[in-house]
Amino acid sequence: MQTILDVQGIHTFIGQYHILQGVDVRVPAGSITALLGRNGAGKTTTLKSILGLTPPRQGKVIFNGREVQGMRSFDIAAMGIGFVPEHRAIFRDLSVEENLKLAERAKDDYARKRDFIFDLFPDLKRLIALPGTSLSGGQQQMLAIARSLVADNSLLLIDEPSEGLAPVIIEHMMSAIRQLSTQSTIVLVEQNFLVASKLAEYYIIIEEGRSVQSGMMKDLVNDKAAIHRFLGAA
Amino acid sequence: MNAFFRKNLLSAATLIVILIFFIAAAQGMNSQDFVITFLRGLSVGAVTFLVASGFSLIFGLLDVLNLAHGTLFMIGAYIGWTVFVRPDTFADLLTPFALILSGFALRDMYPLLSARVRLGLRMRRILPWALIIVSVLLLGLILPRYPIAGWNLDNYAESPVTYSFMASQGTPLPPPTATFDQISPALAIGGLLLASLFGSFGLFLFDQSVQRSPRLSWRSYAGFVVLLLVGLIAFIFNSALTAFLLGLNANWLFFIAVIVATLSGAGLGALMEATLIRPLYSRPIYQLMLTIGLSAIGVQIVQAVWGRPEFVMPKPTLFNGSGASCPATSFSSWWQGNCSTILLLGGRVRTYNEIFIPLIGLLVLVAVWILLQRTRLGMIIRAGVQDREMVEALGINVRRVFTMVFALGVGLATLGGALAAPSMGLSNAMGESFLLNALIALAIGGLTSYPGAALGSLLVGLIQQFIIKYGQIGISIPFTSIVLKPTPPIVPASTVLLMVIILLIMPNGLLGKKE
Repeated sequence: MQTILDVQGIHTFIGQYHILQGVDVRVPAGSITALLGRNGAGKTTTLKSILGLTPPRQGKVIFNGREVQGMRSFDIAAMGIGFVPEHRAIFRDLSVEENLKLAERAKDDYARKRDFIFDLFPDLKRLIALPGTSLSGGQQQMLAIARSLVADNSLLLIDEPSEGLAPVIIEHMMSAIRQLSTQSTIVLVEQNFLVASKLAEYYIIIEEGRSVQSGMMKDLVNDKAAIHRFLGAA
Repeated sequence: MNAFFRKNLLSAATLIVILIFFIAAAQGMNSQDFVITFLRGLSVGAVTFLVASGFSLIFGLLDVLNLAHGTLFMIGAYIGWTVFVRPDTFADLLTPFALILSGFALRDMYPLLSARVRLGLRMRRILPWALIIVSVLLLGLILPRYPIAGWNLDNYAESPVTYSFMASQGTPLPPPTATFDQISPALAIGGLLLASLFGSFGLFLFDQSVQRSPRLSWRSYAGFVVLLLVGLIAFIFNSALTAFLLGLNANWLFFIAVIVATLSGAGLGALMEATLIRPLYSRPIYQLMLTIGLSAIGVQIVQAVWGRPEFVMPKPTLFNGSGASCPATSFSSWWQGNCSTILLLGGRVRTYNEIFIPLIGLLVLVAVWILLQRTRLGMIIRAGVQDREMVEALGINVRRVFTMVFALGVGLATLGGALAAPSMGLSNAMGESFLLNALIALAIGGLTSYPGAALGSLLVGLIQQFIIKYGQIGISIPFTSIVLKPTPPIVPASTVLLMVIILLIMPNGLLGKKE
């Protein structure tokens, strides 16, 4: 299978701190890959390093066959990577529609994608004129994902989509992500192992800034020892 | 609606208290004093707003406290004066300035050039300095020999003060002409171009944060070609341009002066951001020191070029009439006589200071508001104020927007300076006082809030003018015979006091958002 994203041994520093100390991520095209690990293991930093928001000092990030490490992050993103950050980062001073329009890379992106987006998240359609502040947590999460769909992105980096959401909404989110995976590759950071195990085909475990284990999700589900050791889940 | 009130209760209460003070203030004076003072307040408020709004846009998006903003405001005033009173000097300056700027327009090309330069580590460190020194030497050699008709600070009869006075009397002095001094024109122009290329590339090399892979297109060269053409055309048609500007109606000339001041401010801002501020984004303290330093340098340059004495820029003829029909009683009679004053509710109001400036302030307020709310650039700015990283993660070149916002902010300040020059006069201290006004206005209104900048500036202007007025007429304290006259030193103190009170009640300012 073709590899769309290949991260090879990246080291990232934030200030003085050596956060990533050798992370490898291989993402087959068309898959959902989950980055697992405890709090502070470096999952979010891995996503940000791929995008160049926290540029890695060593190692390679190869996206679609091109080395992108060291490039400016907006150039990397413009190559076709959508980012849904941990705390959604909805722009408060912009309306829902403006939040979506901001993500346009070509003039007609929003007009082209709006029906698809509102089919996926019907709730957003009636909120279109409201300011970003007035949305609930679940609505913000939907908007954050919707925003990453406006431009033509072949890879979506989604950080903690289930964080702080009610179970019903998590279900909705999961079905949306599953639907998206038919057209883009998805890298998912997820604390909730149950959610991650239901969604992802592949997994990579990151511990203390290193990628320590990877493979098929269906194998990990049965490996209770590994789950307990790396994720602390019962 | 109810929720809206509950949410904004504190803002509403504060506004009501201010309103009550304001009405109480109006009780002690007759209506014509009130009208005049109110309009003066609007005028000062409008100029403060032009400084404050730019400052706040820059701070909001870039997190840069541009303490040179006041000085840039002042430079705008002096540029406006120069174009208006000495258009021949402006025509002469056009060529060197366009040429010096042209190199900076090639900024997009420099990363590629820099990658081509294969030198040892030590040479790489020396190279930018060498380039800049060569550039400065070239400029130092050529500029003094380049023909620029100007004034003479040491001779009162040829000083800016005299030129300004003669222009205000309607009999401008015949401008001196200058010729090339021991240098051939081709050499001078080539040298300036070379100095520009060296200097801009040298400054670019200092910026360590540059990352690879900018895409080159025709846009990367367009700026350079345009500036080069402007420089050469202005050189070839110099005398025709001078004659045209000198023969121009004073209103049109004033309009051109304001536009030139605004555009040069924008250019200066873009240049400042791209060369000096950009390498320092990760070091806020250095930025502060840089902008303080630039501000001091700016004041020195203004003193060296235009001199220390204060002078007033003449008003455009539209606001300068004093014929039989003046003071005007209505706007139509003002239009006929172009009166400098107009009677409003019994008060004699100056048309330029108290009507025109607030109107322009309002116009800019609306224009920038539309820019922020209705355009994609405005959308990016509003989003970037909150979360730059996320905007970048969407694939938007925030850096380019930074340069634009810096240019816009400084352009607004120089526009304010050029507008203020005929009403408040030009002095070396005007930058400082308006920077202080703007900072207080922003603290009152909310540091990064655009409506907050408008409201804060308005309050600062009104309070200052009312205190000044009460200094003249006195406040009678009820039930006593005491008449309190605030002394002039209270004027700046009063706005600071208002700021302190508002910040105690609302730490984010009236319209600011919680951090």
